[in-house]
Amino acid sequence: MRVTTFRMFIALAAVAAVVSIAGATATGTTAIKERHEAMEDIGQAMKALAAIAKKEAPFDAGVVKASAETIANLLEKAADLFPDGSDKGDVETWAKAEIWTDRENFNKDLQSAHAAAVEMQSVTDEAAFGAALGAVGNGCKTCHDKYRRPKQ
Amino acid sequence: MAFAAVLLAAVFLFFGLTTARPSGRVVPTHTPDLANGETLFHAGGCIGCHKPSSGTGDPGLPTGGASFPTPIGTFYPGNLTPDLDTGIGRWTAPQFLEAMTEGVSPDGRHYFPAFPYTSYRNMWVEDLLDLHAYLMSLPPARSSQRDPDVAMIGLARRTMGLWKRLAFRVQGFRLDPDRSAAWNRGAYLVQAPGHCGECHTPRNAIMIAADARRLAGGPHPGGEGEVPNLRDLLGRGRYKDVSDLTLALQFGETFGYDKLSSGGMAEVQMNLARLPETDLRAISEYLLSLR
Repeated sequence: MRVTTFRMFIALAAVAAVVSIAGATATGTTAIKERHEAMEDIGQAMKALAAIAKKEAPFDAGVVKASAETIANLLEKAADLFPDGSDKGDVETWAKAEIWTDRENFNKDLQSAHAAAVEMQSVTDEAAFGAALGAVGNGCKTCHDKYRRPKQ
Repeated sequence: MAFAAVLLAAVFLFFGLTTARPSGRVVPTHTPDLANGETLFHAGGCIGCHKPSSGTGDPGLPTGGASFPTPIGTFYPGNLTPDLDTGIGRWTAPQFLEAMTEGVSPDGRHYFPAFPYTSYRNMWVEDLLDLHAYLMSLPPARSSQRDPDVAMIGLARRTMGLWKRLAFRVQGFRLDPDRSAAWNRGAYLVQAPGHCGECHTPRNAIMIAADARRLAGGPHPGGEGEVPNLRDLLGRGRYKDVSDLTLALQFGETFGYDKLSSGGMAEVQMNLARLPETDLRAISEYLLSLR
């Protein structure tokens, strides 16, 4: 009887462990997918802005404002897209460990990128656009340089 | 007895092979061009490694202080401003050339190749003199200097003498007469001051660049991730043409080129952005010609 109870305990513990590992992976996977989507959306908005900067599209204050809003909104919630335990999952992530070991600086860098995007929402003329886009771009670069693993 | 003799001979041989000797290079008479020196400073991205640690000093001055992690240890690159005590203020032009081309300090010690003299030694001597003059024109700034955190540093430093004997190729950049002037300029900027191959060319087991696979990418020296392959960028659809890659080098992720901002490349790109557009076009022409 005693042995059976013990065996049952072991089995339950094993099941619990498997469930909790699976749970952690699921959290990671969900967060990774979510942040990849957010980054894709930011990338799309950046593309619209870059087209204006490259003179492939005419300057349009409406497009600038809408794109800047998209970027600012996504960056505002970006910190939540890197919860503890989402450094790995079932899909590949290029997020570096520093995000979780140096959370304070990571959040600070995210905030400055966010501030630059907010700033760009009030750009109404082409003269101010270049500098505003440069500031947003620097925000992207600063974080990616430090916190994203380089890939082929 | 015989063993002791062999050991003694080995020690003598090691010291003989690893003692830094003056190259005996003759420094030509040259009137320095500070603007060219500044271009080379940005082409080399000197500030990238020689910057002050964050939050201290002028981030635009190469005073050193920031740490530079590598597979063999953490380095604290030196002060490149002409401060007399902590910088290069007392260095002569020949001493500067010796450091840049032989990897030897004014006091006769080997530098570790984290300081990429393996590339810089291919720079034109006039360019080196211009760079020296530019650095000497910067405001002198004091900074604290620190030895690298490398295991058995004395022995490791001497071993660099052996490493150089194996790693050094014939010095200097060789122009290719069959290519355009722009292509040659681009190749020079990439291979000599730009030292792109230090990360983008894979290394063998003893950290010597594999020339046959020049710029073919490899593991990131910081230990995480992959440094992209720069060969066949056109064929692989990475860039449309010379203008496209030039824009990427000028603006990077700001213009949506997000490949240029991981693992330190954003910083490299922002330094390159300060080069004249003709130089960036030259770099692009050379890179896109690699198959």
